[in-house]
Amino acid sequence: MQRKTAVVGVGESEYFNRGGATVSEFELACTAIRNAVEDAGLPLSDVDGFVSYLDARNDPVRLSAALGLPVLNFSSQTWGGGGNGVASSLMIADAAVSAGYAEVVVAFRALAQGQFGRFGQARAGGGPASYTAHYGVMTAAQICAIQTQRFMYENDVPQDALAEISLASFAHAQRNPRAVRYGRPLTREEYHESRWIAEPLHLFDCCPENDGAAAVVITSMERARDLRKPPVPILAAAQGIEHGGGIPAFNESNFPTAHHRHAGEMLWQRAGVGPGDVQVAQFYENFTGPVLMAMAEMGFCAPEEIASFVSNGNIQWPDGNLPINTSGGNLGEAYIHGFENINEAVRQVRGESTCQVEGVELSLSVSGPGFAPGSTILFCRD
Amino acid sequence: MGRIPPEDWALPMIDALNEDFFTAGRLLLQACRACSAVQHPPEHVCRSCQGADFESRESVGTGTVYSFTVAHYPAHPSLSDSVPYAAVLVELDDYKHVRLTGNVLDVEPSEVAIGMRVRVVWQEVQDASGQMLKIPQWQRAEA
Ligand SMILES: [Zn+2]
Repeated sequence: MQRKTAVVGVGESEYFNRGGATVSEFELACTAIRNAVEDAGLPLSDVDGFVSYLDARNDPVRLSAALGLPVLNFSSQTWGGGGNGVASSLMIADAAVSAGYAEVVVAFRALAQGQFGRFGQARAGGGPASYTAHYGVMTAAQICAIQTQRFMYENDVPQDALAEISLASFAHAQRNPRAVRYGRPLTREEYHESRWIAEPLHLFDCCPENDGAAAVVITSMERARDLRKPPVPILAAAQGIEHGGGIPAFNESNFPTAHHRHAGEMLWQRAGVGPGDVQVAQFYENFTGPVLMAMAEMGFCAPEEIASFVSNGNIQWPDGNLPINTSGGNLGEAYIHGFENINEAVRQVRGESTCQVEGVELSLSVSGPGFAPGSTILFCRD
Repeated sequence: MGRIPPEDWALPMIDALNEDFFTAGRLLLQACRACSAVQHPPEHVCRSCQGADFESRESVGTGTVYSFTVAHYPAHPSLSDSVPYAAVLVELDDYKHVRLTGNVLDVEPSEVAIGMRVRVVWQEVQDASGQMLKIPQWQRAEA
Protein backbone atom coordinates (compact mmCIF):
# COMPACT_ATOMS: atom_id res chain seq x y z
CA MET A 1 0.00 0.00 0.00
CA GLN A 2 1.08 3.55 -0.76
CA ARG A 3 3.93 2.53 -3.09
CA LYS A 4 5.61 0.10 -0.73
CA THR A 5 5.55 -2.60 -3.41
CA ALA A 6 5.28 -2.72 -7.17
CA VAL A 7 4.45 -5.06 -9.99
CA VAL A 8 7.68 -5.69 -11.87
CA GLY A 9 6.73 -8.51 -14.23
CA VAL A 10 3.71 -9.49 -16.30
CA GLY A 11 3.20 -12.74 -18.17
CA GLU A 12 0.71 -15.16 -19.57
CA SER A 13 0.38 -18.38 -21.50
CA GLU A 14 -1.26 -18.46 -24.88
CA TYR A 15 -5.04 -18.05 -24.46
CA PHE A 16 -7.36 -20.70 -25.91
CA ASN A 17 -11.05 -21.43 -26.27
CA ARG A 18 -12.41 -23.75 -23.58
CA GLY A 19 -10.84 -27.16 -24.06
CA GLY A 20 -8.34 -25.73 -26.56
CA ALA A 21 -5.23 -26.05 -24.41
CA THR A 22 -3.11 -29.03 -25.41
CA VAL A 23 -1.15 -28.99 -22.14
CA SER A 24 -2.27 -29.34 -18.54
CA GLU A 25 -3.56 -26.49 -16.44
CA PHE A 26 -0.48 -26.85 -14.25
CA GLU A 27 1.82 -26.41 -17.25
CA LEU A 28 -0.14 -23.30 -18.26
CA ALA A 29 0.44 -21.93 -14.76
CA CYS A 30 4.17 -22.64 -14.96
CA THR A 31 4.39 -20.97 -18.36
CA ALA A 32 2.65 -17.80 -17.20
CA ILE A 33 4.81 -17.62 -14.08
CA ARG A 34 8.04 -18.13 -16.02
CA ASN A 35 7.04 -15.47 -18.53
CA ALA A 36 6.18 -12.97 -15.80
CA VAL A 37 9.47 -13.58 -13.97
CA GLU A 38 11.44 -13.30 -17.20
CA ASP A 39 9.62 -10.06 -18.03
CA ALA A 40 10.81 -8.72 -14.67
CA GLY A 41 14.40 -9.65 -15.48
CA LEU A 42 14.62 -11.76 -12.33
CA PRO A 43 16.00 -15.27 -12.01
CA LEU A 44 13.24 -17.77 -11.25
CA SER A 45 15.17 -18.75 -8.13
CA ASP A 46 14.37 -15.36 -6.56
CA VAL A 47 10.64 -16.18 -6.30
CA ASP A 48 9.75 -17.10 -2.73
CA GLY A 49 5.96 -16.72 -2.55
CA PHE A 50 2.68 -17.41 -4.39
CA VAL A 51 -0.84 -16.03 -4.05
CA SER A 52 -4.09 -16.79 -5.86
CA TYR A 53 -7.86 -17.02 -5.19
CA LEU A 54 -10.90 -19.30 -5.21
CA ASP A 55 -9.55 -22.74 -4.43
CA ALA A 56 -6.69 -22.47 -6.88
CA ARG A 57 -5.78 -25.98 -7.97
CA ASN A 58 -2.13 -25.30 -8.77
CA ASP A 59 -0.79 -25.25 -5.29
CA PRO A 60 2.40 -23.45 -4.28
CA VAL A 61 4.13 -26.55 -2.90
CA ARG A 62 3.93 -28.31 -6.25
CA LEU A 63 4.86 -25.08 -8.04
CA SER A 64 7.91 -24.45 -5.90
CA ALA A 65 9.10 -28.01 -6.50
CA ALA A 66 8.40 -27.92 -10.24
CA LEU A 67 10.10 -24.57 -10.68
CA GLY A 68 13.08 -25.58 -8.56
CA LEU A 69 12.76 -22.73 -6.07
CA PRO A 70 15.42 -22.64 -3.35
CA VAL A 71 12.82 -21.72 -0.70
CA LEU A 72 9.12 -21.06 -0.35
CA ASN A 73 8.48 -18.38 2.26
CA PHE A 74 4.84 -17.46 1.71
CA SER A 75 1.68 -18.86 0.14
CA SER A 76 -1.93 -17.76 0.51
CA GLN A 77 -5.23 -17.21 -1.25
CA THR A 78 -8.51 -15.41 -0.63
CA TRP A 79 -11.93 -16.76 0.31
CA GLY A 80 -15.24 -16.14 -1.25
CA GLY A 81 -17.21 -16.25 -4.46
CA GLY A 82 -14.92 -16.36 -7.45
CA GLY A 83 -13.46 -13.58 -9.52
CA ASN A 84 -14.22 -11.11 -6.76
CA GLY A 85 -10.89 -12.21 -5.24
CA VAL A 86 -8.54 -11.19 -8.06
CA ALA A 87 -7.40 -7.88 -6.57
CA SER A 88 -7.44 -9.40 -3.07
CA SER A 89 -4.71 -11.80 -4.13
CA LEU A 90 -2.43 -8.89 -5.03
CA MET A 91 -3.42 -7.20 -1.78
CA ILE A 92 -2.12 -10.25 0.09
CA ALA A 93 1.12 -10.16 -1.90
CA ASP A 94 1.51 -6.45 -1.19
CA ALA A 95 0.97 -7.10 2.53
CA ALA A 96 3.39 -10.05 2.61
CA VAL A 97 6.18 -8.18 0.86
CA SER A 98 5.58 -5.00 2.89
CA ALA A 99 5.77 -7.03 6.10
CA GLY A 100 8.93 -8.79 5.00
CA TYR A 101 7.47 -12.29 4.96
CA ALA A 102 8.55 -12.74 1.36
CA GLU A 103 10.65 -10.82 -1.15
CA VAL A 104 9.34 -11.81 -4.56
CA VAL A 105 5.72 -12.99 -4.72
CA VAL A 106 3.95 -14.27 -7.84
CA ALA A 107 0.18 -13.71 -8.07
CA PHE A 108 -1.38 -15.91 -10.71
CA ARG A 109 -4.41 -17.75 -12.03
CA ALA A 110 -4.57 -20.74 -14.36
CA LEU A 111 -7.70 -22.20 -15.93
CA ALA A 112 -8.33 -25.18 -18.13
CA GLN A 113 -11.90 -25.81 -17.15
CA GLY A 114 -12.41 -28.64 -19.58
CA GLN A 115 -9.92 -30.61 -17.50
CA PHE A 116 -11.99 -30.08 -14.35
CA GLY A 117 -15.55 -29.18 -13.37
CA ARG A 118 -17.11 -25.88 -14.29
CA PHE A 119 -17.20 -23.02 -11.82
CA GLY A 120 -20.66 -22.36 -10.49
CA GLN A 121 -21.87 -25.69 -11.79
CA ALA A 122 -25.43 -26.43 -10.75
CA ARG A 123 -25.80 -28.46 -7.61
CA ALA A 124 -28.38 -28.95 -4.93
CA GLY A 125 -27.74 -26.96 -1.84
CA GLY A 126 -27.80 -27.11 1.88
CA GLY A 127 -27.23 -24.02 4.00
CA PRO A 128 -27.98 -20.71 2.26
CA ALA A 129 -28.39 -22.43 -1.13
CA SER A 130 -31.39 -24.33 0.25
CA TYR A 131 -33.38 -21.08 -0.12
CA THR A 132 -32.62 -20.75 -3.83
CA ALA A 133 -31.47 -23.96 -5.54
CA HIS A 134 -34.81 -25.76 -5.33
CA TYR A 135 -36.39 -22.89 -7.29
CA GLY A 136 -33.91 -23.26 -10.14
CA VAL A 137 -31.53 -20.49 -9.06
CA MET A 138 -28.01 -21.91 -8.92
CA THR A 139 -25.70 -20.32 -11.43
CA ALA A 140 -23.72 -17.11 -11.36
CA ALA A 141 -25.61 -16.00 -14.49
CA GLN A 142 -29.00 -16.45 -12.80
CA ILE A 143 -27.86 -14.71 -9.61
CA CYS A 144 -26.43 -11.78 -11.53
CA ALA A 145 -29.54 -11.64 -13.73
CA ILE A 146 -31.78 -11.20 -10.68
CA GLN A 147 -29.48 -8.46 -9.34
CA THR A 148 -29.34 -6.76 -12.74
CA GLN A 149 -33.11 -6.88 -13.32
CA ARG A 150 -33.75 -4.93 -10.11
CA PHE A 151 -30.89 -2.50 -10.79
CA MET A 152 -32.31 -1.78 -14.26
CA TYR A 153 -35.81 -1.27 -12.80
CA GLU A 154 -34.70 1.09 -10.04
CA ASN A 155 -32.43 3.18 -12.25
CA ASP A 156 -34.26 3.09 -15.58
CA VAL A 157 -31.37 1.32 -17.30
CA PRO A 158 -32.02 0.20 -20.91
CA GLN A 159 -30.71 -3.04 -22.42
CA ASP A 160 -28.40 -0.93 -24.57
CA ALA A 161 -26.41 0.05 -21.46
CA LEU A 162 -25.52 -3.61 -20.96
CA ALA A 163 -24.62 -3.83 -24.64
CA GLU A 164 -22.14 -0.97 -24.25
CA ILE A 165 -19.98 -3.03 -21.88
CA SER A 166 -19.90 -5.94 -24.28
CA LEU A 167 -19.26 -3.72 -27.30
CA ALA A 168 -16.35 -1.96 -25.59
CA SER A 169 -14.65 -5.24 -24.67
CA PHE A 170 -15.10 -6.72 -28.15
CA ALA A 171 -13.92 -3.53 -29.86
CA HIS A 172 -10.75 -3.42 -27.76
CA ALA A 173 -10.09 -7.13 -28.38
CA GLN A 174 -9.79 -6.37 -32.10
CA ARG A 175 -6.46 -4.62 -31.46
CA ASN A 176 -5.04 -7.31 -29.17
CA PRO A 177 -3.46 -10.33 -30.92
CA ARG A 178 -3.60 -12.31 -27.64
CA ALA A 179 -7.38 -12.00 -27.57
CA VAL A 180 -9.46 -15.09 -28.27
CA ARG A 181 -11.97 -12.77 -30.03
CA TYR A 182 -9.23 -11.08 -32.12
CA GLY A 183 -10.53 -10.72 -35.67
CA ARG A 184 -14.12 -11.46 -34.67
CA PRO A 185 -15.83 -8.15 -33.85
CA LEU A 186 -19.34 -7.83 -32.42
CA THR A 187 -22.06 -5.52 -33.71
CA ARG A 188 -24.87 -4.00 -31.68
CA GLU A 189 -27.35 -5.99 -33.79
CA GLU A 190 -25.56 -9.27 -33.06
CA TYR A 191 -25.62 -8.42 -29.37
CA HIS A 192 -29.37 -7.82 -29.30
CA GLU A 193 -30.14 -10.83 -31.51
CA SER A 194 -28.07 -13.24 -29.41
CA ARG A 195 -30.04 -15.77 -27.39
CA TRP A 196 -31.05 -15.24 -23.80
CA ILE A 197 -29.11 -17.08 -21.12
CA ALA A 198 -31.01 -15.68 -18.14
CA GLU A 199 -33.06 -12.54 -18.81
CA PRO A 200 -31.95 -9.73 -18.87
CA LEU A 201 -28.62 -11.33 -19.84
CA HIS A 202 -28.02 -12.25 -23.47
CA LEU A 203 -25.28 -14.63 -24.60
CA PHE A 204 -22.94 -11.67 -25.15
CA ASP A 205 -23.56 -10.36 -21.66
CA CYS A 206 -21.92 -13.50 -20.29
CA CYS A 207 -18.19 -14.16 -20.26
CA PRO A 208 -17.02 -17.23 -22.17
CA GLU A 209 -14.93 -20.06 -20.76
CA ASN A 210 -11.30 -20.19 -21.81
CA ASP A 211 -8.06 -22.01 -21.11
CA GLY A 212 -4.94 -20.12 -20.13
CA ALA A 213 -2.91 -18.63 -17.32
CA ALA A 214 -1.70 -15.18 -16.31
CA ALA A 215 0.70 -13.98 -13.62
CA VAL A 216 2.39 -10.91 -12.19
CA VAL A 217 5.47 -10.51 -10.00
CA ILE A 218 5.40 -8.27 -6.92
CA THR A 219 8.42 -7.09 -4.98
CA SER A 220 9.48 -4.19 -2.77
CA MET A 221 9.72 -0.70 -4.25
CA GLU A 222 13.47 -0.53 -3.54
CA ARG A 223 14.17 -3.74 -5.37
CA ALA A 224 11.72 -2.87 -8.14
CA ARG A 225 13.70 0.15 -9.27
CA ASP A 226 16.74 -1.99 -10.21
CA LEU A 227 14.89 -4.29 -12.58
CA ARG A 228 14.42 -4.47 -16.32
CA LYS A 229 11.25 -2.43 -16.68
CA PRO A 230 9.85 0.61 -14.87
CA PRO A 231 8.06 -0.55 -11.71
CA VAL A 232 4.28 -0.21 -11.46
CA PRO A 233 3.60 0.67 -7.82
CA ILE A 234 0.54 -0.54 -5.94
CA LEU A 235 -0.95 2.70 -4.66
CA ALA A 236 -3.80 1.01 -2.78
CA ALA A 237 -5.96 -2.08 -2.67
CA ALA A 238 -9.17 -2.90 -0.82
CA GLN A 239 -11.45 -5.82 -0.12
CA GLY A 240 -14.62 -6.01 1.97
CA ILE A 241 -18.30 -5.44 2.51
CA GLU A 242 -20.45 -3.25 4.72
CA HIS A 243 -22.89 -4.38 7.45
CA GLY A 244 -25.54 -6.63 5.98
CA GLY A 245 -23.72 -6.83 2.67
CA GLY A 246 -23.01 -10.51 3.12
CA ILE A 247 -26.51 -11.79 3.93
CA PRO A 248 -27.21 -14.69 1.55
CA ALA A 249 -30.10 -15.52 -0.78
CA PHE A 250 -30.63 -11.96 -2.13
CA ASN A 251 -31.26 -10.52 1.35
CA GLU A 252 -28.28 -8.16 1.47
CA SER A 253 -29.28 -4.93 3.19
CA ASN A 254 -28.15 -3.03 0.09
CA PHE A 255 -29.55 -5.38 -2.60
CA PRO A 256 -29.07 -5.04 -5.52
CA THR A 257 -25.35 -4.60 -5.08
CA ALA A 258 -22.16 -5.45 -6.94
CA HIS A 259 -20.49 -5.66 -3.49
CA HIS A 260 -18.02 -2.93 -4.37
CA ARG A 261 -19.35 0.09 -2.46
CA HIS A 262 -17.30 -0.49 0.69
CA ALA A 263 -14.20 -1.70 -1.15
CA GLY A 264 -14.42 1.37 -3.37
CA GLU A 265 -14.69 3.76 -0.45
CA MET A 266 -11.72 2.13 1.27
CA LEU A 267 -9.66 2.20 -1.92
CA TRP A 268 -10.12 5.93 -2.53
CA GLN A 269 -9.54 6.71 1.13
CA ARG A 270 -6.29 4.72 1.20
CA ALA A 271 -5.09 6.07 -2.12
CA GLY A 272 -5.92 9.71 -1.41
CA VAL A 273 -7.44 10.13 -4.86
CA GLY A 274 -10.90 9.71 -6.36
CA PRO A 275 -12.52 8.06 -9.37
CA GLY A 276 -12.20 11.27 -11.37
CA ASP A 277 -8.40 11.02 -11.16
CA VAL A 278 -8.27 7.66 -12.98
CA GLN A 279 -7.39 7.54 -16.68
CA VAL A 280 -8.22 3.89 -17.44
CA ALA A 281 -10.04 1.02 -15.70
CA GLN A 282 -10.47 -2.72 -16.05
CA PHE A 283 -13.80 -4.07 -14.79
CA TYR A 284 -14.11 -7.85 -14.42
CA GLU A 285 -17.02 -8.82 -16.64
CA ASN A 286 -18.62 -12.00 -15.40
CA PHE A 287 -21.80 -10.44 -16.75
CA THR A 288 -22.33 -6.95 -18.10
CA GLY A 289 -25.10 -5.91 -15.70
CA PRO A 290 -23.02 -6.18 -12.54
CA VAL A 291 -20.26 -4.19 -14.27
CA LEU A 292 -22.68 -1.27 -14.54
CA MET A 293 -23.47 -1.67 -10.84
CA ALA A 294 -19.77 -1.83 -9.95
CA MET A 295 -19.00 1.33 -11.94
CA ALA A 296 -21.63 3.22 -9.97
CA GLU A 297 -20.55 1.74 -6.63
CA MET A 298 -16.91 2.63 -7.33
CA GLY A 299 -18.11 6.21 -7.62
CA PHE A 300 -17.75 6.90 -11.35
CA CYS A 301 -21.36 8.11 -11.57
CA ALA A 302 -24.68 7.87 -9.76
CA PRO A 303 -26.61 4.66 -10.51
CA GLU A 304 -29.31 6.58 -12.38
CA GLU A 305 -26.63 8.15 -14.59
CA ILE A 306 -25.03 4.86 -15.64
CA ALA A 307 -26.77 4.57 -19.02
CA SER A 308 -25.49 7.95 -20.18
CA PHE A 309 -22.07 7.34 -18.60
CA VAL A 310 -21.42 4.25 -20.73
CA SER A 311 -22.98 5.56 -23.96
CA ASN A 312 -21.59 7.60 -26.83
CA GLY A 313 -18.23 5.86 -26.73
CA ASN A 314 -17.37 7.20 -23.27
CA ILE A 315 -15.91 3.85 -22.16
CA GLN A 316 -14.19 3.05 -25.48
CA TRP A 317 -10.62 3.70 -26.53
CA PRO A 318 -9.28 6.08 -27.81
CA ASP A 319 -11.77 8.92 -27.36
CA GLY A 320 -13.74 7.94 -24.27
CA ASN A 321 -13.21 9.69 -20.96
CA LEU A 322 -12.84 6.35 -19.18
CA PRO A 323 -11.77 3.53 -21.52
CA ILE A 324 -12.48 0.20 -19.83
CA ASN A 325 -11.30 -3.35 -20.50
CA THR A 326 -8.71 -2.16 -22.97
CA SER A 327 -7.27 -5.62 -23.69
CA GLY A 328 -10.74 -7.00 -24.39
CA GLY A 329 -11.31 -8.21 -20.84
CA ASN A 330 -13.02 -11.43 -19.87
CA LEU A 331 -15.43 -11.12 -22.80
CA GLY A 332 -12.99 -10.35 -25.59
CA GLU A 333 -9.42 -11.20 -24.56
CA ALA A 334 -9.96 -14.32 -22.49
CA TYR A 335 -11.65 -15.42 -19.31
CA ILE A 336 -8.58 -16.21 -17.21
CA HIS A 337 -10.83 -15.75 -14.22
CA GLY A 338 -10.22 -12.03 -14.49
CA PHE A 339 -6.47 -12.12 -14.01
CA GLU A 340 -5.91 -10.84 -17.55
CA ASN A 341 -7.42 -7.56 -16.30
CA ILE A 342 -4.59 -7.21 -13.78
CA ASN A 343 -1.99 -7.71 -16.50
CA GLU A 344 -3.73 -5.09 -18.63
CA ALA A 345 -3.97 -2.56 -15.78
CA VAL A 346 -0.19 -2.90 -15.29
CA ARG A 347 0.51 -2.63 -19.02
CA GLN A 348 -1.48 0.62 -19.16
CA VAL A 349 0.91 2.21 -16.65
CA ARG A 350 3.92 0.88 -18.57
CA GLY A 351 2.61 2.13 -21.90
CA GLU A 352 2.43 -1.39 -23.36
CA SER A 353 -1.30 -1.79 -24.06
CA THR A 354 -2.62 -2.43 -27.55
CA CYS A 355 -5.23 0.24 -26.69
CA GLN A 356 -2.81 2.51 -24.88
CA VAL A 357 -4.41 5.44 -23.11
CA GLU A 358 -2.23 8.56 -23.15
CA GLY A 359 -0.75 9.93 -19.94
CA VAL A 360 -1.82 7.18 -17.54
CA GLU A 361 -1.03 8.17 -13.97
CA LEU A 362 -3.62 5.93 -12.26
CA SER A 363 -4.82 2.59 -13.57
CA LEU A 364 -7.69 0.81 -11.80
CA SER A 365 -8.73 -2.83 -11.73
CA VAL A 366 -12.08 -3.87 -10.22
CA SER A 367 -12.63 -7.54 -9.50
CA GLY A 368 -15.69 -9.70 -10.09
CA PRO A 369 -18.94 -7.90 -9.21
CA GLY A 370 -22.08 -9.46 -7.76
CA PHE A 371 -20.33 -11.68 -5.24
CA ALA A 372 -18.97 -10.76 -1.83
CA PRO A 373 -16.53 -9.49 -0.80
CA GLY A 374 -15.66 -7.10 -3.60
CA SER A 375 -12.04 -6.16 -4.17
CA THR A 376 -10.16 -3.61 -6.20
CA ILE A 377 -6.60 -2.36 -6.78
CA LEU A 378 -5.12 0.89 -8.00
CA PHE A 379 -1.75 1.08 -9.76
CA CYS A 380 0.16 4.31 -10.30
CA ARG A 381 3.16 5.67 -12.17
CA ASP A 382 6.39 5.60 -10.15
CA MET B 1 -44.43 -24.18 -20.14
CA GLY B 2 -42.36 -26.88 -18.50
CA ARG B 3 -42.83 -27.78 -14.88
CA ILE B 4 -40.61 -25.89 -12.43
CA PRO B 5 -39.25 -27.32 -10.31
CA PRO B 6 -39.33 -30.68 -12.14
CA GLU B 7 -40.38 -33.84 -10.27
CA ASP B 8 -36.83 -35.16 -9.98
CA TRP B 9 -35.24 -31.89 -8.94
CA ALA B 10 -33.17 -31.47 -5.78
CA LEU B 11 -35.02 -30.65 -2.56
CA PRO B 12 -33.73 -28.30 0.13
CA MET B 13 -31.41 -30.05 2.57
CA ILE B 14 -33.08 -29.68 5.94
CA ASP B 15 -31.02 -28.48 8.89
CA ALA B 16 -31.74 -26.92 12.27
CA LEU B 17 -31.91 -23.42 10.79
CA ASN B 18 -34.23 -24.04 7.85
CA GLU B 19 -36.47 -26.80 9.24
CA ASP B 20 -39.33 -24.51 10.30
CA PHE B 21 -39.28 -22.67 6.99
CA PHE B 22 -39.52 -25.81 4.88
CA THR B 23 -41.74 -28.06 7.04
CA ALA B 24 -44.25 -25.96 9.03
CA GLY B 25 -46.65 -25.23 6.19
CA ARG B 26 -46.85 -21.68 7.50
CA LEU B 27 -44.45 -18.90 6.57
CA LEU B 28 -42.41 -18.84 9.76
CA LEU B 29 -39.58 -16.32 9.96
CA GLN B 30 -36.83 -16.10 12.55
CA ALA B 31 -37.31 -13.32 15.12
CA CYS B 32 -34.86 -12.25 17.84
CA ARG B 33 -36.36 -12.38 21.35
CA ALA B 34 -34.04 -9.61 22.54
CA CYS B 35 -34.58 -6.95 19.88
CA SER B 36 -37.55 -8.30 17.86
CA ALA B 37 -35.63 -8.08 14.58
CA VAL B 38 -36.92 -10.50 11.93
CA GLN B 39 -34.18 -11.87 9.74
CA HIS B 40 -33.99 -14.11 6.68
CA PRO B 41 -32.32 -16.45 5.98
CA PRO B 42 -32.17 -17.64 9.60
CA GLU B 43 -28.77 -17.52 11.29
CA HIS B 44 -27.30 -18.61 14.59
CA VAL B 45 -26.85 -15.01 15.73
CA CYS B 46 -29.07 -11.94 15.40
CA ARG B 47 -27.62 -9.61 12.76
CA SER B 48 -29.02 -6.59 14.60
CA CYS B 49 -28.04 -7.17 18.25
CA GLN B 50 -25.85 -10.32 18.22
CA GLY B 51 -28.41 -12.08 20.43
CA ALA B 52 -28.83 -15.82 20.06
CA ASP B 53 -32.34 -16.49 21.41
CA PHE B 54 -35.02 -16.74 18.74
CA GLU B 55 -38.73 -17.32 18.25
CA SER B 56 -40.88 -17.72 15.14
CA ARG B 57 -42.92 -14.93 13.60
CA GLU B 58 -45.55 -15.82 11.01
CA SER B 59 -45.94 -13.79 7.84
CA VAL B 60 -49.38 -13.46 6.25
CA GLY B 61 -47.75 -14.73 3.06
CA THR B 62 -48.54 -12.03 0.55
CA GLY B 63 -46.06 -9.95 -1.33
CA THR B 64 -44.82 -8.34 -4.50
CA VAL B 65 -42.34 -9.56 -7.11
CA TYR B 66 -39.20 -7.52 -6.36
CA SER B 67 -36.99 -8.97 -9.08
CA PHE B 68 -36.85 -12.02 -11.33
CA THR B 69 -35.03 -13.77 -14.12
CA VAL B 70 -36.28 -15.96 -16.91
CA ALA B 71 -33.77 -18.78 -17.25
CA HIS B 72 -33.40 -19.99 -20.83
CA TYR B 73 -30.24 -22.04 -20.41
CA PRO B 74 -30.73 -25.23 -18.37
CA ALA B 75 -28.00 -25.13 -15.75
CA HIS B 76 -28.54 -28.82 -15.09
CA PRO B 77 -29.76 -31.63 -17.41
CA SER B 78 -32.80 -32.17 -15.16
CA LEU B 79 -33.98 -28.66 -16.04
CA SER B 80 -33.90 -29.18 -19.83
CA ASP B 81 -37.66 -29.62 -20.06
CA SER B 82 -38.37 -26.76 -17.66
CA VAL B 83 -36.70 -23.90 -19.55
CA PRO B 84 -37.67 -21.20 -20.08
CA TYR B 85 -38.78 -20.74 -16.49
CA ALA B 86 -39.05 -17.69 -14.25
CA ALA B 87 -37.51 -17.47 -10.79
CA VAL B 88 -38.69 -14.56 -8.66
CA LEU B 89 -37.73 -12.67 -5.54
CA VAL B 90 -40.80 -11.83 -3.46
CA GLU B 91 -40.80 -8.89 -1.08
CA LEU B 92 -43.18 -9.72 1.77
CA ASP B 93 -45.95 -7.22 2.59
CA ASP B 94 -45.48 -7.52 6.35
CA TYR B 95 -41.67 -7.84 6.46
CA LYS B 96 -40.48 -5.65 3.60
CA HIS B 97 -36.79 -6.33 4.11
CA VAL B 98 -37.36 -10.07 3.66
CA ARG B 99 -36.99 -11.36 0.11
CA LEU B 100 -37.92 -14.96 -0.67
CA THR B 101 -36.87 -16.79 -3.81
CA GLY B 102 -39.51 -18.87 -5.58
CA ASN B 103 -41.51 -19.58 -8.70
CA VAL B 104 -44.95 -18.19 -9.62
CA LEU B 105 -46.59 -21.50 -10.46
CA ASP B 106 -49.66 -20.29 -12.37
CA VAL B 107 -48.07 -17.61 -14.56
CA GLU B 108 -46.24 -17.92 -17.89
CA PRO B 109 -42.58 -16.79 -17.64
CA SER B 110 -43.17 -14.00 -20.15
CA GLU B 111 -45.90 -12.51 -17.92
CA VAL B 112 -43.80 -12.27 -14.77
CA ALA B 113 -42.93 -8.67 -13.93
CA ILE B 114 -41.64 -6.59 -11.06
CA GLY B 115 -44.61 -5.38 -9.03
CA MET B 116 -46.79 -8.47 -9.65
CA ARG B 117 -48.87 -9.35 -6.57
CA VAL B 118 -48.44 -12.90 -5.27
CA ARG B 119 -49.50 -15.10 -2.36
CA VAL B 120 -47.79 -18.13 -0.90
CA VAL B 121 -48.89 -21.68 -1.74
CA TRP B 122 -47.46 -24.90 -0.36
CA GLN B 123 -45.78 -27.64 -2.30
CA GLU B 124 -45.82 -30.90 -0.30
CA VAL B 125 -43.17 -33.48 -1.05
CA GLN B 126 -41.38 -36.21 0.86
CA ASP B 127 -37.60 -36.08 0.88
CA ALA B 128 -35.18 -39.03 0.76
CA SER B 129 -35.12 -39.32 4.55
CA GLY B 130 -38.91 -39.69 4.65
CA GLN B 131 -39.51 -36.23 6.07
CA MET B 132 -42.54 -34.38 4.66
CA LEU B 133 -41.52 -30.96 3.33
CA LYS B 134 -43.92 -28.07 2.78
CA ILE B 135 -42.04 -25.78 0.45
CA PRO B 136 -43.25 -22.21 -0.03
CA GLN B 137 -44.16 -21.30 -3.61
CA TRP B 138 -46.23 -18.53 -5.18
CA GLN B 139 -49.33 -17.86 -7.21
CA ARG B 140 -50.70 -14.67 -8.64
CA ALA B 141 -52.88 -12.64 -6.27
CA GLU B 142 -55.34 -9.84 -6.97
CA ALA B 143 -53.83 -6.37 -6.82
ZN1 LIG C 1 -31.57 -9.08 18.03
